Amino acid sequence: MNGSRTLYHMVRADFLERVRRYSFLLTMGFAIYLGYAVYARQVTLRLDDYRGVDNSAWLGTVVGLIATVWVTLIGFYIVKNSIQRDRRTRVGQILAATPMNKSFYTLGKTLSNFAVLAVMVLILALAAVLIQILRGEETQIALGALLSPILLLGLPAVAVVAALAVLFESLPVLRGGVGNVFYFFFWTGLISVSVTLVTGTQQPTGLHALQDFTGIAVVMGQMQTQLRQLDPQVSNAASFGFGNFHSTTKTFLWTGIRWTPALLFGRALWLAVTGALALLAAVFFDRFDPARNGLRLGRKQKSAANLDVLDTRFSVVAPALPSVFHLTPLLRDAPNRQTRARFFSLIVAEFRLLFRGHGWWWYAAAAGLFLGCLLSPVGAARSGVLVAAWIWPVLFWSQMGTREESFSTGSLIFSAPRAVPRQLFAMYTAGVLLAALTGGGLALRLLFAADFSALAAWGAGVLFIPAMALALGVTTGSRKPFEAVYTAWWYVGPLHHIRQLDFMGTTAQSSTPVGYFAAAALLVLAAYMWRSVRQAYA
Amino acid sequence: MQLAIENVTKRYRKGVVALREFSLDLKPGVLGLLGPNGAGKTTLMSILATITRATEGRVLWNDTDVARDPDVLRSVLGYLPQDFGVYPNLNAVEFLEYLAAVKGLDGAAARRRIDELLDLVNLADVRKRPLGGYSGGMRQRVGIAQALLNDPELLIVDEPTAGLDPEERVRFRNLLSDLSGERIVILSTHIVSDVEATATDIALIAQGTLVAHATPENLLKSVEGKVWEWVVLSADLTALKQKFLISSTTRRSDGVHVRVLGEEPPTNAQPVSPNLEDAYLFCLSRHRAGARAGAAA
Repeated sequence: MNGSRTLYHMVRADFLERVRRYSFLLTMGFAIYLGYAVYARQVTLRLDDYRGVDNSAWLGTVVGLIATVWVTLIGFYIVKNSIQRDRRTRVGQILAATPMNKSFYTLGKTLSNFAVLAVMVLILALAAVLIQILRGEETQIALGALLSPILLLGLPAVAVVAALAVLFESLPVLRGGVGNVFYFFFWTGLISVSVTLVTGTQQPTGLHALQDFTGIAVVMGQMQTQLRQLDPQVSNAASFGFGNFHSTTKTFLWTGIRWTPALLFGRALWLAVTGALALLAAVFFDRFDPARNGLRLGRKQKSAANLDVLDTRFSVVAPALPSVFHLTPLLRDAPNRQTRARFFSLIVAEFRLLFRGHGWWWYAAAAGLFLGCLLSPVGAARSGVLVAAWIWPVLFWSQMGTREESFSTGSLIFSAPRAVPRQLFAMYTAGVLLAALTGGGLALRLLFAADFSALAAWGAGVLFIPAMALALGVTTGSRKPFEAVYTAWWYVGPLHHIRQLDFMGTTAQSSTPVGYFAAAALLVLAAYMWRSVRQAYA
Repeated sequence: MQLAIENVTKRYRKGVVALREFSLDLKPGVLGLLGPNGAGKTTLMSILATITRATEGRVLWNDTDVARDPDVLRSVLGYLPQDFGVYPNLNAVEFLEYLAAVKGLDGAAARRRIDELLDLVNLADVRKRPLGGYSGGMRQRVGIAQALLNDPELLIVDEPTAGLDPEERVRFRNLLSDLSGERIVILSTHIVSDVEATATDIALIAQGTLVAHATPENLLKSVEGKVWEWVVLSADLTALKQKFLISSTTRRSDGVHVRVLGEEPPTNAQPVSPNLEDAYLFCLSRHRAGARAGAAA
């Protein structure tokens, strides 16, 4: 079998496996929602007080930008599981025993990721046609003007994301939750660099195009030039995003992006970056080697593990087995032996489980943040240190509700008496304790200062964060949704002290604790109901 | 102590029927559950372990309907699923402590029990090693230990010896025999020798129905006079396989020794004592023939 045929079948099998999963329907649902958001003018592109007439060029450009801005964020979390799936299903071990080339594998996974994201972009393209017909501002559909921004802006951007997802999965440090959180900031950086170019006077071409990942600088630059010919007084103010806070009052006719060879070269460079990232991923890809995929053991554990090799050898020549086994019987007649709620010991067990697999440096930083909350001025502690203290445990909270699925321990746990309510609420309590501990320094300060309204805001955060983790974990079975949603929410709400979105109550003005108390209760209830429905005997 | 399975049917989505009006009464002892792949063994185990519900019929534990009050059974249940996971960053003690807490066991009693169980399954030396570094057989032994944590009255073990080395397999068989006195043990396996060594009762299951339920002695009696040994040439073996139900073949210097199952002996064949494997194959073959005849009618 030749290389291209091997690659084709790798991509095909991976793509088919994905699209036949129910989760693919959610992916498509998200793409359809984005299309609807454009139709409902929830996503708007505006320049000063102008928007474009809804013709093919304008809608194609808006959809192209959606692909480069939003699909590149959500899409990453959607496709960052292809190598993990091979690992979990153990198909990887079969592949590793074949003559499969590592570069082929990572390239195949990149192409498969790209195919999934391209389907989303395709749905957006279809939505653009539909929107133009429904709006009826311009009835003639110009396919070139409609598709060129989608193909030349959107597809190279999602191709880069497809390769980045494979690279993240290949790097042990970015494979898990750290990668999920890190990507949000990486994406924010990419977008920020693009946006800063918008105000520049020259369009980024050639190698400078590598600064404009989204292509937004190209689009805005050309739009502003065209608009100034109509209205020389127009300002440089421009925005693109969700929300319809300031509706536009004027329209202008956008004729589409002029694709110069330099611009095309700039977009092609991103495809080259995609190839380079896919090949770079091959360098780090462990080819499912369990020795390279091992647990990070501490020094003590390593030495124990080495000793165990000897112990195992000795166990092979162990003396004859005892003919009678002795197990101390548990007291059957103890009052309510099984029914008595040993809730506290379960909370302790869940709490210990949350902390597994993290190094001493995590605890050192957490202790530093606790002290920072305790010792820095109250205002700074509330609006700054607490915000940092409550992003630090994100990878702990994200385990909540997902472990039984990801480690296949559900059958062991849910065959225990009243396991669903007991284990779920013990897990939630452990998450609440974690929040209370990491942000506890501030609570002590507020308590001593008798600032009960601030304390209530702190308490709402303590209850809300693990409730969100639990609800997302239980309903999706994956850590990724919480890691992505929480990080984005944390960035938009608490970090920027945006009222309604600030679940930590980082300032008196942005604090809305009552809503978050209620939301926490609803989320815990939702998690309980979801798990009850999923377990036949809950 | 009694477990009654009454006319249990399990129908999955798309109409796949895994169990069909399955009934069985169990008393203390080891029940060996034997059957081919896809017979419905794991579905039956899952229903008895309260992991999934029967579509029809009921399961009664000491006359209590398990569907109505699953905790009555769960509090005395030990379950080792065929396919289970562990938390790779916990060591064996921590993992068992966690499951003991989930099962609602008293802390001190659980710790003592965990020590004994780790000795029992021969993992005491590696008790502090993260489970992620365990071999498949070692994880299986952790699974066995967790199933015994709550001193279960009903112990359900699905393919428990899969992945165990011969020494550990013998150890586990002895353990099952030792445990069976005061409790009901249900052992599902493909390995007939495991059943031969431990079972006080055998249930044969095929296509979701109960084919036979008997003591090993009675099952063996049912095939007495129906097992024959015959020495043939290697070249004739393929043709014989088309004609007779063959349970085993052994190559020796005088030719191939073939064990044949059937009502009538082949020419020159000698009668031999049946073993459980013969009985299993004979019952299954008779069941399939009956099913074919039923379908044709």
